[in-house]
Amino acid sequence: MSLATPRSARRKGVLILPLTISALLLIASVFLGVVDLPAKDILAVLVGGGSDDADLIIGTIRIPRIVTGMLAGAHFAVAGLLLQAITRNPLADPTILGISQGATLTVAIFLLFTVYGASADAHTLYSLPLRWLPLVASVGGMATGFLVFWIAIRNRLSLLRLTLSGIAIGATLHALAMGMIAGWGSARFEIVMQWLSGSLYARSWEHVIFLLPFTVAAVIALPLLHRSLDMLRFEEDVARSFGLSYRLHFSLVLLTACGLAASAVGTVGPLIFVGLVVPHLAHFLAGRRFGMVMPLTVVLGASLVTGADLAGRLLGQAEEIPIGVITALAGAPALLILLRRRS
Amino acid sequence: MILKATNVGVRYGAHRALDAFSLGFSQGEIVALIGPNGSGKSTALHALAGLTSPDEGEVVLDGREMRAWKRRNLAKRLSFLPQAPYAPDDMSVEELVRQGRFAHVGLFQSFRSEDREAVEWALESTGLETLADRGLKALSGGERQRAWIAAALAQESGILILDEPTSFLDIGHQVEILELISRLSRKRGVTVIIAIHDLNHAMAIADRIALLSAGRLVFEGSPTALSGTGLLEKTFKVEGEFIQSSGGEAPYLQVRVRR
Repeated sequence: MSLATPRSARRKGVLILPLTISALLLIASVFLGVVDLPAKDILAVLVGGGSDDADLIIGTIRIPRIVTGMLAGAHFAVAGLLLQAITRNPLADPTILGISQGATLTVAIFLLFTVYGASADAHTLYSLPLRWLPLVASVGGMATGFLVFWIAIRNRLSLLRLTLSGIAIGATLHALAMGMIAGWGSARFEIVMQWLSGSLYARSWEHVIFLLPFTVAAVIALPLLHRSLDMLRFEEDVARSFGLSYRLHFSLVLLTACGLAASAVGTVGPLIFVGLVVPHLAHFLAGRRFGMVMPLTVVLGASLVTGADLAGRLLGQAEEIPIGVITALAGAPALLILLRRRS
Repeated sequence: MILKATNVGVRYGAHRALDAFSLGFSQGEIVALIGPNGSGKSTALHALAGLTSPDEGEVVLDGREMRAWKRRNLAKRLSFLPQAPYAPDDMSVEELVRQGRFAHVGLFQSFRSEDREAVEWALESTGLETLADRGLKALSGGERQRAWIAAALAQESGILILDEPTSFLDIGHQVEILELISRLSRKRGVTVIIAIHDLNHAMAIADRIALLSAGRLVFEGSPTALSGTGLLEKTFKVEGEFIQSSGGEAPYLQVRVRR
């Protein structure tokens, strides 16, 4: 329980609607897809039977894809919530620490070496070396996050310095990545673009397994950091005067956010608007029930990505519309409305 | 002496914000820090509150060097209220005051009855019981300042360090805050160290006055003793005269404004 939550403000009713929507989206995602499977077959697979075809599509394509999306969505949303709270910046999201841009650059470099190294012919289309992408991107994202944090720590942990160096370093890395991609040739351009726009295409249980350790670590860390999170919303002097070892706790929360964001960017690409919009939506729905903000953020983050993926699959049919495009198109107006309501 | 600064020096780059600052504080007294803008009042308070580590000298609380104190233990002994602190928009008065119990409750323990009592007492002492559920955003400047003081009170710390708590308030609210501070000191034996701009308010509320000029302590003593030195006029570069009141209150500085 949070220090900031009086008893009266802990009603959980606000979760019912988002949880229902989330469940409906989950069911719809399992039952709807490019391949038209009869509902009867899908139900049969779910209870452990069904045809081999249906089993393959549901068990190794649809479900891992949905789970990856839900985990990644929750990661992005919680990372955004943590970063917005501790930087006291309503516009903070994983891009503000350069995490997405750092991941993008390392992915570009990695693809250049692996794909270009295999063949210098710019017209050959290669399948993405997907297996290594999550790790490569996560390492790049985390390294950038740490670099930005290190610069801020050297300047007495100034939040302004943290934000400014994050934006500057992020912009530089992004420019480098774009420069590399532009100078690279058309067929390969596409595979990076596909990753860049955020996609759940061909995500498998491997991706779930990659994300899970980060999810588990955060699930353990967040309840322990709950009260420090309340404290970190104050200025450093105030938080320390209330008795918090500010820098230690700031670093722990930042590390958690960094791990969540980098692992998610690694697996599904930079879905920028999820980390930005979902915390605002959660705050809006929770109102004064502060204890509900975190659970709402998790549920809404997972639903948004699942919903966006479903929409992308259904609208685009065989040519999927990347989730990043859907989340940005739906997220931007939502953010504008929420910011208006709040001020 | 429960809190004592000895030869404290703080530098920001080449700038000496505080130089050879020595001052001690006893239980239950009110000490006002005065001085022109940039004279080092705020830096001195930060050093005394253990928020800035001095480059030279030491600050000792209850016989222990400030650096040796754990944050949470320090917060049970001493609370600090910065100038115009930021509060999250969506926080209510009671929620803010509850944060003051952090040092006692810690990261994992739940709120006990003594914590609830401390919050209630803090709200009551500051006259905020009826506003407890009000959002901080919907308060007047004076009410918001009282809410912050209530949060500091909920810490039950014994030493209260306030950085210009009356700035930005109208005269009615200024007096209200000063009376609250004075009452706390008398009734609860709280030691108060307060930086304040209004010289006459400083003279009225303080048992002792410390005058800072360009990072150095140039006077320390009772308000009456200060009035005879001519230091105020010199330090603040004003002309004026002290007027003795008949009711036994502190002398009053009437500043001349040329026109």
